[in-house]
Amino acid sequence: MGLLIPQDIGFLDHGLYSTSLGPVTCGNLIKFVLILSLSIILLRVLTIYLRRVLKDRVSKDVGEPILKLLYYGTLVVVFISILPLIGIDPSGLMLAGGVAGIVIGFASQNIVGNLVSGCFLMFERPIKIGDQVEVNGIAGYVTDIRIISTLIRTYDGLLVRIPNQQVFTTNITNIVGHPVRRFEYTIRIRYSDDASAAIWLIKDLIDQEPFALRNPTPSVFVNDLGESSVNITVRIWAPVSEWFGLKTRLLWNIKKTLEENGIEIPYPQRVLHIKSEPEKIQHVIEEPKEQQFIENEPVLNFEERVLN
Amino acid sequence: MYGYYDPPFSVEQEGISISVERTGDKWTYRRTSGKDEVEKLILGDRKRIIINPVEPLNTPKEITPNLLIEFEKTLLLAGGEKKQIFLTFPVEIGVFISDVGDKNPQLIDVLSLVRQKFTLYGEVSNGVVCKHWKSGIYSVSPSLNPLQEGIMELTLRNTSSDWASISKAVFSAYGMKLYYDGDVFMKARMDILNRNTAETGFEIQPINGEMGYLVKDQKIRKEAFGVYGLRKLGFVPLKFYMGWGF
Repeated sequence: MGLLIPQDIGFLDHGLYSTSLGPVTCGNLIKFVLILSLSIILLRVLTIYLRRVLKDRVSKDVGEPILKLLYYGTLVVVFISILPLIGIDPSGLMLAGGVAGIVIGFASQNIVGNLVSGCFLMFERPIKIGDQVEVNGIAGYVTDIRIISTLIRTYDGLLVRIPNQQVFTTNITNIVGHPVRRFEYTIRIRYSDDASAAIWLIKDLIDQEPFALRNPTPSVFVNDLGESSVNITVRIWAPVSEWFGLKTRLLWNIKKTLEENGIEIPYPQRVLHIKSEPEKIQHVIEEPKEQQFIENEPVLNFEERVLN
Repeated sequence: MYGYYDPPFSVEQEGISISVERTGDKWTYRRTSGKDEVEKLILGDRKRIIINPVEPLNTPKEITPNLLIEFEKTLLLAGGEKKQIFLTFPVEIGVFISDVGDKNPQLIDVLSLVRQKFTLYGEVSNGVVCKHWKSGIYSVSPSLNPLQEGIMELTLRNTSSDWASISKAVFSAYGMKLYYDGDVFMKARMDILNRNTAETGFEIQPINGEMGYLVKDQKIRKEAFGVYGLRKLGFVPLKFYMGWGF
């Protein structure tokens, strides 16, 4: 045993390769790996702790980017500061960065693009975690915005990973970007129904709905005189979190209330004016007869001609 | 109806029925109000039920912490003036369960007897959704049904030199402090900063006694447990900055 210890120490001092900063030993390499691993573990523990602490105090969309910035920022600082252990001079890295940057840039164009887009997404914040969005035809909830990609849970419950570059460069529709939103119905009633009464009934129903906002004011008006109906347009503003429930509930209530008050939604219809057939025939026969009589009066008729 | 109750008990008023009964080794909380029925099981003995008014921002669904009170008539306040008015505000009835000594209160039910309506204060793009209430303006404290409406003593202060035309005020629930005893009371202030902006908040009341009592107009009122007051949230402003006019 006594002989083994000096041999072990010797192993740690064993030089692997030499750089401008001096020889890099096995011990240096182990130190580098240990510090990096410990930093990752400590940062993970710290992130979990902070996530728990901030859970009730800061919203997820604010807390998560802060935690990610703290995690990756600290990791980069630690990594750069321990580079001399493996014989890499960080200042030299800066100088070599120009050439290396071009090489890496070409090699990892997409990754860098996604990374930069991810940073812009985190700072510009066109979308936040928890938002309902539509990106590139994919609609759903944003579950996470990562450094390289954004995760969206569709309304069907599917998880879609979209590269950040795609998110950043395409049109994003943020369904919950504003605190309120408007929805619209077109209610068709018969021409024989009283449109003013229908408007009054609809306005009363809207007034009874707590989530149909008082301001901006809802509007109910006759918008079109259609082929088979008088078309009433109903426009209502509601909080973004409540609009869908209100829209589905209120439409059925409007239908029921209008029917209860004798106002009906008509089927498509067309009024046809049909003249009776015998009258038409009589009319057709009679006319040429008279005309023929006038025209043929000085001339012999067919029978007379045949006879002659 | 407001007060402290030791189970078993049953209380009924204005169509609301609240009871806690023993069923085997459990307690059953029952509440009926019109067609609305709530039933919950309570596991634990030596608990107390507290029924008191709470911030009017929990029903039908808690979607905003802000209350907008629209005045029935527009008020004109001269520059540099300070005036006191009385308004009404909607009341919600909160039912709490607490340990002995009224410690660790926990909301178990909340209901409202008044009409609910929401509105937007500000622009569509960046405004705030608020619970809406229309109130008359009174020079003396009005007599109201405490299960439906409360009295707000509002001190208006125009710090600008121009006349201010006031038709609404927005309050944040996080600063609300309600007091009750026969009536429901809240004391607030509104500082007009300039032509378009104002700041609202609630007055810190002198409280007497362990339970927290407010002496006002020779009347002793008890401090109510609030839903928002129980939440230990950091970084939440207690004042509301009205930046889109009043």
